[in-house]
Amino acid sequence: MATAEIRFQPQRVNGRQKTQQRRPAALRLLQAERSEEIFPLLLEEVIALGYPRAMVLDINFDTGDVTPAAALKWPRQQIPNFAAALWMSEHPLITVLHTARPAVLAKTPLHSRPIYVHPILYSNRNLCWEADRVRSVSCLAVQNFNREKRIRLEDQVCSTCEMRSYAAVVVVELTRNNSEARLAELGELIELANRYLSRLFKVEHYYNRMRDMEVTIAQMGTVMQSMADPVILTDTQHRVIMQNKAAERFFKVPDEMTEGLVRAVELNNLLFSAALSSMLVSGSDAHRDLTLVDAIEGEEMLFEAVSAPTYGPEGIQIGTVTVMRDVTDLRRADQELRLNYDKLSGAEEVVRQDRDRLNLIIENVGDPIVVCDSQARIVLVDPLAQELFGSSLDVARDAQQIKNQNALATYVTAFTYSVAEKETAPLRLYNTTQKQEIEYDARSGKIFNERGQVSYTVTVLRDLTALRRVEQLRVERRMLEIEKFAATGRLAATLAHEVNNPMEAIKNAIYLMAGSLPENTQPVYNILKSETERVARIVRQMLGLYRNTEQVKPVNVNTLVEDTLLLLTRQLQRANVEVITDLRPLPDAIIAADQIRQVLSNIVINARDAMPSGGKLRIRTRHIPGRDDLHGWVRIIIADSGTGIPQEMMRTIFEPFVTTKGEKGTGLGLWIVKGIIQNHAGKLVVRSRVDHGTVFKIDLPVVKL
Amino acid sequence: MAETRTSRILVVDDEGSVLMTYRMILERQGYDVTACRTSRDAISAIEKNSFDLVLCDYSLEEQHTGFEVIAAARKRDSAVPAALLTGYATMDTADEASLQNIGIMFKPIEIEEFLATTSKLLRRENEPKQENGEKARRTKTGD
Repeated sequence: MATAEIRFQPQRVNGRQKTQQRRPAALRLLQAERSEEIFPLLLEEVIALGYPRAMVLDINFDTGDVTPAAALKWPRQQIPNFAAALWMSEHPLITVLHTARPAVLAKTPLHSRPIYVHPILYSNRNLCWEADRVRSVSCLAVQNFNREKRIRLEDQVCSTCEMRSYAAVVVVELTRNNSEARLAELGELIELANRYLSRLFKVEHYYNRMRDMEVTIAQMGTVMQSMADPVILTDTQHRVIMQNKAAERFFKVPDEMTEGLVRAVELNNLLFSAALSSMLVSGSDAHRDLTLVDAIEGEEMLFEAVSAPTYGPEGIQIGTVTVMRDVTDLRRADQELRLNYDKLSGAEEVVRQDRDRLNLIIENVGDPIVVCDSQARIVLVDPLAQELFGSSLDVARDAQQIKNQNALATYVTAFTYSVAEKETAPLRLYNTTQKQEIEYDARSGKIFNERGQVSYTVTVLRDLTALRRVEQLRVERRMLEIEKFAATGRLAATLAHEVNNPMEAIKNAIYLMAGSLPENTQPVYNILKSETERVARIVRQMLGLYRNTEQVKPVNVNTLVEDTLLLLTRQLQRANVEVITDLRPLPDAIIAADQIRQVLSNIVINARDAMPSGGKLRIRTRHIPGRDDLHGWVRIIIADSGTGIPQEMMRTIFEPFVTTKGEKGTGLGLWIVKGIIQNHAGKLVVRSRVDHGTVFKIDLPVVKL
Repeated sequence: MAETRTSRILVVDDEGSVLMTYRMILERQGYDVTACRTSRDAISAIEKNSFDLVLCDYSLEEQHTGFEVIAAARKRDSAVPAALLTGYATMDTADEASLQNIGIMFKPIEIEEFLATTSKLLRRENEPKQENGEKARRTKTGD
């Protein structure tokens, strides 16, 4: 080496370093800071070794071109001769390249002198970072270094780091002295240069990769920040590692700190952490609804959080990326939709039930129902109405049905154009079952549309004949009863009148006989006297009913009740009857006071007799306001806790000479009560239960003068 | 001085037996009783004598009523007390009676009530007359 250096001294004199000793090649190569600097240095060192010319050809794996990259001392016009391509398998350089070993080519069409051809490849003793990380040994650089297998030029991409290897061919023109030692020296120099080149290449590769990554990271950062949805990267402890601006609104304490905001952020973090935990438990690509408070606006927002785990180099989860989608409006709309749906289905259910119920009602009304439109045309008829009018769809063929239809149309038209919303009117229609025209009670109502116009009318027809017949029967029976009562009364009065005078004479005669009779006839006299008195009582009562001698005038019934009770107090006390009164304020009633007093006393005495071992007598008075323009009624209720009236007697108690008291009673008390109440246009109701008692309810009309 | 004179009562009833018992009852009480069966007899009795009290059945023979007899009595002595004895009276009858200050006793009449009413009516007849002195004059003439 020293010789070479000496030999090249004169050439160096012309160069930059005249006086300095030339430094060893290794140090010179070490000076190179960039891979491009290696080839020129190498070529200089080759020339320094005493070779006339040297050249480096670069191999482009993409195009397959083998092109001269640098040359020293080589005539410019000769350089293009060396250009080749990988596919030129016959080319001397390519042949050598495929062997991957240096070779001496004594004679080539490329050059007039013998040349030394040395292929170089990216190689390294140490694994690349990627291979090291994944603990793989399949690193191209190492494989090339170890020359473990035959190097294939078409496969110069690292399977681990995907780094593309470089390849080049160093061509050196040989001198005559091409001894083994000299060639070995040359080979070592080239290999040394390649080692440096590989190192620089590797450094530059990682430098470039770092730069690229920087760009990628910056781009990703931009992407992340520009996302409107919050994105958060958390570690396994759910601590926030990274978050975008949108997320900061919720999870970062704002500069302007207020207690509320801080609490909101704390709460958000807590909620988020809880959501992450639950998502972690439930599965990998879980999503959750999460309500957060916007720390700036203070609004509540609903998010759908989608989380995905992030893994470290060993495939261990190192964190979670969560993207949150603002679904406030979406959920609100969804909720509203659901609510509306529920409402609708509820309404539909109600309508359905209503319709079913309505159908059931219509089917069970038992009266014909007709629905007409605003033109009084029949729209709907129930089966009963069909008998009267025919089906709405068919044309009525029956003459009676046509007649009925006309009658209905006349009525419905009048009703439709009337102001009344409801109407009840008689309507004569031909009834096919009864085969005659009968009177129906037509009850109609209107159905209005949203503009308030009549859209339909509904008419229910009620056959009144049956009802009328019942009503008439009831009236007739009542008339008969009244007539019977009056007739009985007249008969009784006549009888009493006829009996009255003879009895008056008998009674007076008995009185005159007193004191002038023999001792032993006294019992007979007593019988005569008491029985005559009884007859006199009967006659007096009978005639009393017809003695309309008293003037009617406004009287407070409460006073009459009190008077009557006062008169009977001693009797009631003796009979151990407790009297309970509940007399409410009453308007004056226009009545004959003596007669009503008679009524009250008759009923009270009956009550006393019905309670032989005592009991309770309740008397209540009430004012029952009239429903119409009447002044209502005065109600007197007299209830005892006595023996009650047997059911079979209830019908006859108001008939004369009916008594349960044997000889003590005249059998006229209630007959008179009824007569007086009827004379007053009042009402009398009796309810009784054997062993429970009897209740008399008297209603007297309040008539104002 | 007038207290020694017995009261004169006119009793009218178309039923003979009733009339007789009334007369006997009243006589037993010490009254001077004139009993008539018809309105005609009664009116002629009134023309002959003055009475302190007239007790008269309402319905008399044919269509005659007690009102006619009382009216006749009142013609002679406008203040004479009177009562109708009847089993049955219409509202009109009762009104008319009360209007003319005529009492009503309904048959059958309790004897105690009959006697009480009679003495009450007689007292009423006596009292005002003592005041205006007319009683003394009439007592003398009637004696």
